[in-house]
Order: sequence, then C-alpha cells, then structure tokens
Amino acid sequence: MSDTKTRESIAPARVGALGWLLAFAVLAISLVWGLQSGSVDIDPLGSIGVLLDSIPGVEIEHGLNEIEQRVILEIRAPRIAMGAIVGAVLAVAGAGYQGVFRNPLADPYLLGVAAGAGLGATFVFAFEGASGVVPILAFVGGLAAVALTYVLGKSVGGRTTTSLILAGVAVAAFATAIQTFLLQRNLDTLREVYSWILGRLVTVGWGDVITLLPYAVVASVVLLIHGRLLDVLALGDDEAEALGVRVVRVRRFVVLAATLATAAAVSVSGLIGFVGLIVPHTVRLLTGWSYRVIIPLSIIYGASFLVVADLIARTAAAPAEIPIGVVTAFLGAPFFVLVLRTMRGPQ
Amino acid sequence: MIAWRDVAVTFGKTRVVGPLSLEVGRGEWLGLIGPNGAGKSTLLKAAVGVVDYEGSVDVGEHDLRRGLDIAWMPQRPRLPEEMSVSDYVLLGRTPHLGYVGGETQHDLDSVMGSLKRLDLSAFAARRLGTLSGGEAQRAVMARALAQEAPVLLLDEPTSSLDIGHAMEVLEILDELRKHDGLTVVTAVHDLTMAGRFADRLAMMASGEIVADGDASTVLTEANLLKHYGAGIRVVNNGDGPTVIPTRIERD
Amino acid sequence: MRRTTPLLALILVLAACGLGGETVATTGETTTTIASTTTTQSATTTTLDDGFPVTVEDMNGSVTIEDRPVSIVSLSATATEMLFAMGAGEQVVAVDEYSNYPDEAPTTTLTGFNPNIEAILTYGPDLVVASWDPGELVTGLSVFDVPVLILPTALSLDDSYTQTETLGGATGHVEEAADLVEQIKTDIQIVVDGSPVPEGLSIFHEADPTLYAASSFSFIGQLYGLLGLENVADEADADQFGFPQLSSEYLVAADPDFIFLADASLGMTPAIIALRPGWDQMSAIQNGAIATLDEDIASRWGPRVVDLLRSISDAIAEYLLTS
Repeated sequence: MSDTKTRESIAPARVGALGWLLAFAVLAISLVWGLQSGSVDIDPLGSIGVLLDSIPGVEIEHGLNEIEQRVILEIRAPRIAMGAIVGAVLAVAGAGYQGVFRNPLADPYLLGVAAGAGLGATFVFAFEGASGVVPILAFVGGLAAVALTYVLGKSVGGRTTTSLILAGVAVAAFATAIQTFLLQRNLDTLREVYSWILGRLVTVGWGDVITLLPYAVVASVVLLIHGRLLDVLALGDDEAEALGVRVVRVRRFVVLAATLATAAAVSVSGLIGFVGLIVPHTVRLLTGWSYRVIIPLSIIYGASFLVVADLIARTAAAPAEIPIGVVTAFLGAPFFVLVLRTMRGPQ
Repeated sequence: MIAWRDVAVTFGKTRVVGPLSLEVGRGEWLGLIGPNGAGKSTLLKAAVGVVDYEGSVDVGEHDLRRGLDIAWMPQRPRLPEEMSVSDYVLLGRTPHLGYVGGETQHDLDSVMGSLKRLDLSAFAARRLGTLSGGEAQRAVMARALAQEAPVLLLDEPTSSLDIGHAMEVLEILDELRKHDGLTVVTAVHDLTMAGRFADRLAMMASGEIVADGDASTVLTEANLLKHYGAGIRVVNNGDGPTVIPTRIERD
Repeated sequence: MRRTTPLLALILVLAACGLGGETVATTGETTTTIASTTTTQSATTTTLDDGFPVTVEDMNGSVTIEDRPVSIVSLSATATEMLFAMGAGEQVVAVDEYSNYPDEAPTTTLTGFNPNIEAILTYGPDLVVASWDPGELVTGLSVFDVPVLILPTALSLDDSYTQTETLGGATGHVEEAADLVEQIKTDIQIVVDGSPVPEGLSIFHEADPTLYAASSFSFIGQLYGLLGLENVADEADADQFGFPQLSSEYLVAADPDFIFLADASLGMTPAIIALRPGWDQMSAIQNGAIATLDEDIASRWGPRVVDLLRSISDAIAEYLLTS
C-alpha cells in the first residue's frame, strides 16, 4: 500500500456528511409524519403551516379552523416534541451505558433506574398522593436506586463493572419486590400503575417538554464529549488507565449524565423499553464500533424511532391508545432481527 | 529513567512483589527475567498504576504522568475485533489529547510513523480481528510507540512472533531507544534473546530480585538451576551467554 | 325413630335439590316465578315451609339456600346496599371494606378483590354474596357448604332489578324486594319526567384519567340516555364495549357540552383537567359545565341509582339555568 493510501486510512471515526444528511432526513420525515397522525383528520399542509405560523415573525395561511389549530399546537406538537426528546434521551443513555460497560446489550435501565422510578410512582398511587407528585417521586426513586447500586457495588467488589451490574440487578429486584408487595396490598391501583409502567405520552403539554429539555441537553452534551473516551474504554480498564484515562471518573460522569436524563424521561413518560437497547445497537451494527459515531446518531435516530412508535400507538386503535412500551417492543424486536440477519448474512 | 523504590504489591492477603527497589537509567535496556509467577508482569503493572502498590515509582525530576511518561505493552492486550489497525494505533495518542480534544495532524503523523516502523503500513485499514498473532502483536507495539513516551515497559513483546520477526522487532526497539534515548524494560521468557539485546538483566523469583547485572553475570547455570529448576546449560561464545535446554536422562 | 327423622329430612332435601325447580310440596305454598322480559338473569324461587330451602339464579346458574340465612357476608358494596334497603340488614354479619353504605353496615377488613376464604369463614357465614369470583371463591366455600351468590356488575337497569329480586328470594324478603324495585322504578320516572333536556345536549363521562369514557352501552351510559343526553363516546364504541378509550384530540374535536368526572379519587378535578393540553378552550371548561360524581354512587348499581340519576339531572339543570 502506498504511503498516501496508508496515510488516508488513518483517520478518526466521524459521522460524515452523508451520515448526517440521512439521519436528519429520517428525523424530519418522522416529525412531519407524526404531525399528520391522530384521531382527528387534519390537512397535512395546513398542519405544517400552522406550526410555522406560530413562529413569531412568520405569517402563513394555513386554513385550519380553531379546533384544528388547537389540536396541532397544543396536543400534537408538544407530544411529538416530547417523543423526540424522550427517544433521544433513552437512546443516547443506552449508548453511554453500552460504552461504559463494554456491553452491546446494556440499556439505560441496567443499574436500576427503571425499577426505582417504578417504585416511586407506585408509592404515589398506593398512598393516593396527588397525580402531580408522580413524576417527582419517580425521578427521586430512579436516582436513589442508582445511588444505592453504586454504594452496593463499591462495598462488594470495588470499582469493576461486573460488581456494578450485579449490584444493579440486586437493587432492581429489591425495588420490584417492594413494588409488587405494594400493588398486592392496593389492588385497585393496579390499572394505574401498569398503565404508567407501560409508558405513555398521553397528556403531555409544552410544560412537560420544557421540564425535560434541560436534562436532555445536558446529558447529550456530556455524552457527545465523552465519545472518544468511550472508545478508549474498549481496551479494558487496565489499558485505558495506562493510557492516562481516569476510568472510574469517566464512568461516573457518563453514568451520572445518562441516569439523570433517563430518570427525568421516565418520570414524565413512564417506562418505555427497547429504545435504549435497540437504537444504539442498531446504529452500531450499521456504522461500526466508534462511540463518536454511535452517540450522535443514537440521539437523532432515537428521536425518530420514538416519534414513529408514538404515532403508531395513537393511530393503530384510534381513538384508543396502545401503551407505547408495547409498540416499541413490537416494532423493535422484529426490526432488530432484520438488521441482525442482513448484517450476518453476507458473511 | 525509571525507578521502583521500595515497591510492594499485595493481592488479598498474599504479598506478590517486594518490597524491592530497581532503577533503570536513561537510555538503558533492562531485561526482566524469571520463572512464571515471579512477579514480572505485576512489577510493570504497578508502574502504570494498573495495580495498587506501596512505595513509589519515579521517572525523574517531575511527577509521573500516566500515558505520557510510560508506555505499557501488556502481555494480554484486549484487541477489539472491528477496530482497524490504524484506529487502534491512534488510541496510543490518547494521553496527548486531553479530556475533550480531538486528534491533530501530528497525531496522525505519529501513527503513520509507528505503522511504518513496525512494517504495518499495508495493514492500516485491516481489522484487528483479521490479523495473525504476530501481526496483532506488532500492532500493539505500534500503539505503544505512538505514545512517544520516554519509558517503554513491554510485557512479552515477542511471544507470538516467529524468530525472524522477533529479532526484527527487537532490532527496531534497539535502534529507537538509541536514537531517541528511550528507557526500555522488557519482561521476557526467552533468556538468550534477553541477554542479546538488553544492557542488563534482572532476575526475579517469588517477588524478589535475586540477580542483577549483565548477561554473563546473571545467566549462570547455578542461578538458572536454582530459580528455574530445569536442566539448563549455558554456553558462552562470542555473542554472549546462550541458554540451552538439556534433557535429563530418566532412569 | 329418632334416627330416621334426620334421614327423612336428608331425603327430602336431596329430593328438593335434585328436582331443581318444582317440589312435591307438603304445605300450601306454590311456586312463584318472577321474571323480567329483557334481562339476562331471572330469579326463580321455590318455597317450602318458611320459604326455605330456596333456589335462586346467579351468574353461574342455580344456587340453593337451605335455610333462611342469618349470617350473611357481603363482599359487594352494591349487594350490601340492596340487602339493607330491603330490610335484610339484621341478617348481615360482615361486609367488605368498601361497603360503606349504609352506616350501620358491619364493615370489616374483608376484601372482594382478593378474598381470603379463611377470613370469610371466621364470620361463620351461611350465605356469601360477591360481585366476582377471582377463581376459588365459590369452590372454596362449597367445601364448607356455604352457598355463594355471584352478582356481577349490572349491564342494564333490569339486571339491577333482577339482582335485587334474587337477593330478596335468597334472604326471605321476596315482597320487600319487589316493593323496593317498584319504588326505584317510580323514583327514576319522577326524575326523568322532571328534567327537561334540550335536544342534542352532549356529555362526556370520564371514568379514568387515561380518558376511558362510559358510552351509552354501559350501565351508567344508559342512565344518561334515560335523561335524553347524547354521549360523545358512542362514536368511538363500535364494539359496544361500554368503556372506550378516547384521546384529547377526539374530545377537543367532539367538544361535549358537559363533563362528568368519575375519577376524583384518582386526583382529577375540574381545575386539573383544564390544565390538559388543548382542553382549556373546550366549551365545557369555559362554561364551568363540569360535575364531579360521587364515585361510590357512580360505581354501584343498587338502590342509590336514583341518587345518581338525580345528581346528574341536577347538575344539568343548574347548568341550563345559568347559561
């Protein structure tokens, strides 16, 4: 191989122009498609028009009546925005966890945040607290569970990833046990709790979106920054340390950012599964091993995936809602198998 | 230079290394030899902070900066299969990149240089999973060299290489250290090879240094019999001591 | 002869059971049948001596009650209300934790959701009434020869009347039960006659915060229908399931004139639902045309159905007055 060719092949991994274009195109299509879908039939162009018209300084003739406007601006738009943000958060958190634990099967619920949040929510339902308190207790519960996992993991096996994962399993099992116990004692709350667990974006308004946004932005920025370091972690803790990377500190930052954002997302939208596992892993299968690519693309494709899943959730049995956790599983599993087969096939 | 001062390593309740002191001068090549379990790898790991230790490891006037002052080539490196050779060697530039930074032209040039030195230019785009044992080992060394650190700690750097490649790689190392003034410590099994290339040998057994000096001082039949316990003969000719395995007749 | 008397009684009892409906009566009582025309349940009673043993029909078929029950356990709040309203209160020894009406009902920690056979037996019941059987209630109690009546959620007013009559027969209050039913019918008619509702006035009955509604095919939906109210959930209930799930979009577009909340216990209030995205502009919210129903009354199908109807009618009347 000539010197120039060798030199050309030495390049840090990046998304590339085509990669960005494709990702944003998919996102744009998902958002527009999401805007069109719902129990009420609204003219597609009109729906985009009213959205653009709401931007200060922009005037567009959209031709929608008052009710249609409200449906678009106050019901659908925030819901799509929320779906995109939650999808992005879960996917990027999943990518972060996969990098930190060097395991492509890791998902954001690995250290117990889901079980903790579920327990927090169940507490509110079981003791008949105000429904406004559910997100707060879910958030606190999620964080508490992960904190407990860390404390347990440290006391048991030091700083290794295995001890953390095992501690996470223990904490999740414990939280789930308490939750089941509470449910048994308060069977009338069963429906509410399960409806929450299966995940929903039902009554989401701009307020919820604004609440979640800062967490999503901070987590995304932190994870984007750590992309390269996650690649170094692929060498194992020992070699990464020898290369000057403070492995424990990196792990802590990534887990903290991913967990905070996941807990916030879960507290607003319930437990939506599969996104955090499927999206980053699929991105990895399609683009390669580098987190410098997987992380940014997980953000964009995660958003698209959940927006599409949500539109299916609210149109497939309209006006009834299919719990979104069911849709993500239905969509995610076969899609994942498909990707796996096309990848392994030619080999 | 690199100096281990009163270094001791304990795993659980067992004292595995030391306390021992060992100093290697700037530009010197020390061959670390000894039977399995003597603590050679552990001693190297202590220097790069991979295991906890008592005592101190010194690299000269300033405090040890991991990755920048010492490059470590592990005995059993983790080689992610899908990474290309150039990506892998590029990881050697990590200590120079800071927390947030990205790679510069200099980093890419350094990788290019490493690949060339180890005759891996043709393999730049190949995935690690497709390399032979020897090619992979050269890639690991290339990564260590890309770090551009003044001290190189190499744990069994030629174990997968055939004799031709092993000699080639060791010659490159010798040239490099003379050219750049690098300090080299290699832990090796091949005693003759060690004697040929290193300026000085230190033999370890059960966590202690039991012999330290030039090849002919350390590689004596008495020493080898005592610590390796096998039938070994040492022949001295113009090249230096040659260790010859001898089969003992069993009656 | 002392030995043969119990034997004789046993034979007579077996005969009564085996023959199912008719008996070879030794006293003057004849069979009485009370049946309604459009119901899914019918109450058939056979009498002997003081009216017992008696066989009634419940969800699972025929149930025979040997003697007039004097220690009844009720695991259904509706059944409790019916029993007390027909004067069988003194025969009730224990009711479940949710049977909070009337006050004199002996509430315990028993639960109808997850009934514990042993706990029920500690009250020495000779009749147990419940609204559903999670699996082993009937079979478990039959081991101890305790008859169980499963009277599930009524699908119509006629169901409710039939259940009342069933309980009347089972407890020896046949006439009182019949009177109670007549009274209820009369009272309902009075409420209906006294509340004029303009054509096309539409309502939305919210059963749960995830927007499950009650359509005209549900029990309570029929009550709204009696008053002439239109139900926005009907279009979404093609399967006539009774409780379709709606969406905010659907409701904003349907824009019901009046909203009834049956999920206050789950935290829903007029103020809170107005915060839902897109809801603040709905007519009902703007006009304050929202009423919170007493959930105890709204979730039961007993004598207080009249109160439920009245509270709906009053809410509508008030709204009509002020608008």
